[in-house]
Amino acid sequence: MTSPSSRVQTNRPAKLEPNTPPGKQLRKPPGPWRIAWASFRRNPYAMAGLIVLSFFILVGLFAPFLTSYDPAKIDLLAANLKAGTDGHLLGTDELGRDTFTRLLYSSRVSLLVGFLVALGSVLIGSVVGSISGYFGGFVDTVFMRLVDVMNSIPLLFLNILVLAIFGTEFKYLIMVLVLTSWMSVARLVRGNFLQLREMQYVEAAKAIGVSSWGIIFRHLLRNASFPIIVNATLMVGGAILSESALSYLGLGIKAPQTSWGLMLSNAQEFMLVDPMQAVYPGLCILIVVLAVNFIGDGIQDALNPRKNTTLTGRRLERWRKSFSKSGT
Amino acid sequence: MAEKLLEIRNLTVGFQTDNGVVKATDRVNLTLNKGETVCLVGESGSGKSVTSLAVMRLIEYGGGAILEGDVGFKGDDLTSRSQEEMIRIRGNKIAMIFQDPMSALNPVYSVGDQIAESVMLHQKKSKKEAWKTAVHLLRLVGIPAPEMRVKQYPHELSGGMCQRVVIAIALACDPDLLIADEPTTALDVTVQAQILDLLRKLQKDLGMSILLITHDMGVAAEMGDRIAVMYAGVIVEEGAVADIFANPSHPYTIGLLQSVPGLEGARGEELYTIRGNIPSLNQLPTGCRFHPRCPHVRERCKSTEPPVFKVNSDHQAACWMYASGGDSEAWRQELEQRS
Amino acid sequence: MTEFIIRRLLQSVLVLILITILTFSLIHLAPGGPFQIMLSPGLSPEAMETQARNLGLYDPVPVQYFRWLGDLLQGDLGYTFKNHIPVGQIIWPTVSNTIVLMGAAWFLTLLISIPWGIYNSTRVYSLSDQSASFISYLGFAMPTFWFGIILQQIFSLKLDWLPLSDMYTMSKEGDLGDLLMHLILPVTVLTLGFLAAYVKYSRASMLEVLHQDYIRTARAKGVREGRVIYKHALRNALIPIITVVALDLPLLVAGAALTENVFNWPGMGRLFVEMAVAREYSVLMAITMIVAVIVIVGNFVADVLYAIVDPRVQLNKRGGKAA
Repeated sequence: MTSPSSRVQTNRPAKLEPNTPPGKQLRKPPGPWRIAWASFRRNPYAMAGLIVLSFFILVGLFAPFLTSYDPAKIDLLAANLKAGTDGHLLGTDELGRDTFTRLLYSSRVSLLVGFLVALGSVLIGSVVGSISGYFGGFVDTVFMRLVDVMNSIPLLFLNILVLAIFGTEFKYLIMVLVLTSWMSVARLVRGNFLQLREMQYVEAAKAIGVSSWGIIFRHLLRNASFPIIVNATLMVGGAILSESALSYLGLGIKAPQTSWGLMLSNAQEFMLVDPMQAVYPGLCILIVVLAVNFIGDGIQDALNPRKNTTLTGRRLERWRKSFSKSGT
Repeated sequence: MAEKLLEIRNLTVGFQTDNGVVKATDRVNLTLNKGETVCLVGESGSGKSVTSLAVMRLIEYGGGAILEGDVGFKGDDLTSRSQEEMIRIRGNKIAMIFQDPMSALNPVYSVGDQIAESVMLHQKKSKKEAWKTAVHLLRLVGIPAPEMRVKQYPHELSGGMCQRVVIAIALACDPDLLIADEPTTALDVTVQAQILDLLRKLQKDLGMSILLITHDMGVAAEMGDRIAVMYAGVIVEEGAVADIFANPSHPYTIGLLQSVPGLEGARGEELYTIRGNIPSLNQLPTGCRFHPRCPHVRERCKSTEPPVFKVNSDHQAACWMYASGGDSEAWRQELEQRS
Repeated sequence: MTEFIIRRLLQSVLVLILITILTFSLIHLAPGGPFQIMLSPGLSPEAMETQARNLGLYDPVPVQYFRWLGDLLQGDLGYTFKNHIPVGQIIWPTVSNTIVLMGAAWFLTLLISIPWGIYNSTRVYSLSDQSASFISYLGFAMPTFWFGIILQQIFSLKLDWLPLSDMYTMSKEGDLGDLLMHLILPVTVLTLGFLAAYVKYSRASMLEVLHQDYIRTARAKGVREGRVIYKHALRNALIPIITVVALDLPLLVAGAALTENVFNWPGMGRLFVEMAVAREYSVLMAITMIVAVIVIVGNFVADVLYAIVDPRVQLNKRGGKAA
């Protein structure tokens, strides 16, 4: 097909990197990342999301410095205090634990779960998707059937099942959430690979003797990275929601650790005593997930600039934008 | 004098864009007589399709608006009609066929459904009668085994077949005017000829007028009684087919004709191209819209837009060359030498 | 058509078999395996050994799998570990309760969201359109169970308009009016999550269709705008919506499970959580299988519907447009 000598004059798409032997670094012009960042900065929702998320990260990191209480300390004498009494900013729960403190520490847990799960899913999904997309054939069929199967079980049930079997430790929680959310990344990477592996620079790389894995990691994965990042961002939000649901059901985070979902579970039992205890943790989840989703949307818009304003009505153009945003 | 069927006067169509209103056509004048075929020729983006959609008053659904001018149809101004009234005219008195027959048919309804719908909308016929008419129409447009085809879905037909179905839909109510927007562009060459033959035959049999929109000078020569050439939203030349081909008068038309590969041209000879590109409608040049690409450009062209001048009794061109006085005589000679 | 249905049926069966393998392997991966769970407590080691042998727990795993599968196919779901009750006896009543809740929510969601989405597609960026997009952001980010708790606080505890939880008021079992009152809150919670997403889908799908050439052809025929939308566009727009709705079925089942726990609804989801805490593996396996069957049947029905709505499907393998 392609001989080594002919690889230079292949007509490759302009956006892909130049035909230098892999391994040799080229100095890049202001890359797509910088352009994307500039566009992201102009998106008020995305920036608000970023600020809110950073706020929660900081709160989680510095929780011990922001409160004088211990989140796990039970003090039955101070149970169910109203907000503002005895220095308890948001009151205490049924066991006398300071609600404000628990909110701070929960932010740690939720965000940790969110990021770890997104990271793990991207890793597994990328590996499965790359193998599936690159080698095709039997391997591909097996993996894609697996994805089909995973998508036909309500994943919450699978999560609960696994946690029931293995026990509700933090590492199992992360593991099971990863195992039930890698599929979208795998699909995405596979789709990208199917498109890209036909391209001539892969032929060229093969021809000069780069191994399959070398091609995958140097060239193909780099091209699939944009959509993966968007997907991963949205996955953070999904994982936070899943964690809160599992903890609420009593199968996730367990005391003495604390999480927003767990707080809600306790608060529901004592709704009659202090209804506000159920409001705060839910609001925190809502705000964090909303922030993450705004960031995800912002990244997506920044990475896929749609600037083709031709002779069409403005309404039509805005319509197109919103349509492609809905991700069909 | 032949009877006028369609009279477009000063038709200006605008679209709202981020940079304000853009005029897709600018004071277009065009007349179509009864039983006549007029070809509207131009590159894509020249405003031909916009003109036809404006006649149908379908332009409003695409985000455009008629800003100025009127469309006289049988002495009736269509631009002052409401959409409610236009419904009775569209598909009934004026019918339209489109460029891509495969996408012009609704994929989820059978061919018969789609033809019969038009019949039922405009002629108070029962569903059964309408389906009979559909079979009859399919036979009329030359589809073999129409009783079988009528039950099929568009994806089961070839492109040429689909275009015949689209034509059958258009003919359902025996319209006075058929607007054909690039009816053969999406088809294979042999199928193109068949469809054009069919249109010509139907016109003769049914006595309708056709407004044929095409970018292909060859198609225009074959089909048209008269030709109107559009460039960047204006009609630059109009006249009888024979006259236009024998005596092209606007430099743009001349360029168009020269860029058609002929059989007599020597092989290997480079094909003539008009230099430059059609201007974007929101950055039109001053003066004559063609002047940046015109090989015969004069100072006057750069500043003032030329009105339409008569070349002879039934032939007109929007070019300063045909203004009386000045150096126009010498100018025309220069043109003749060049072409 | 028949061929299409058979092919889809075979695919569904294959997925179902894979799910049984997955579920079975999971249980066998459990630390200690299902051994201790299945054996009666309080036996001497020797007796345990005998019982295990009798139960076939020393057989190779594939043999055990096929025995379990065979029992499953005969409708034998096994017995609970604690009280040795037939699993079927516990599960079946909850299945219908879940279907009532899910069905009501699903029906309401589609009933509201599709017309709303279509309406928004004809009035892009109207107030109605923007409120739908606002709700969809909330719907995607809000923990549904929290929304349920908040509704309970407002409508049950504070205003005392609606029952706090359960399916029936005590001693009113079987009363339809009472059931409806109990349905309002959980159905609202379930609907909100999906409503916004479906409004968005139907709007997007409709907008895409409205810009197709055949819509222009219909208008050029003199079809009035109402008919253009409800006859020519709607049927085409429904095709992708059917797929999405079917693909979301697992999400709906999961959502129902959470909602059941919030409102103490005696359904499969609540039972599942209860049994998970109690580690009743046979019940968990059975429910997982039932839920998978519901989802797969749902997807199958959607595909058949798809084939009915879209004449192109019969010729092609699946979905996709004819070339």
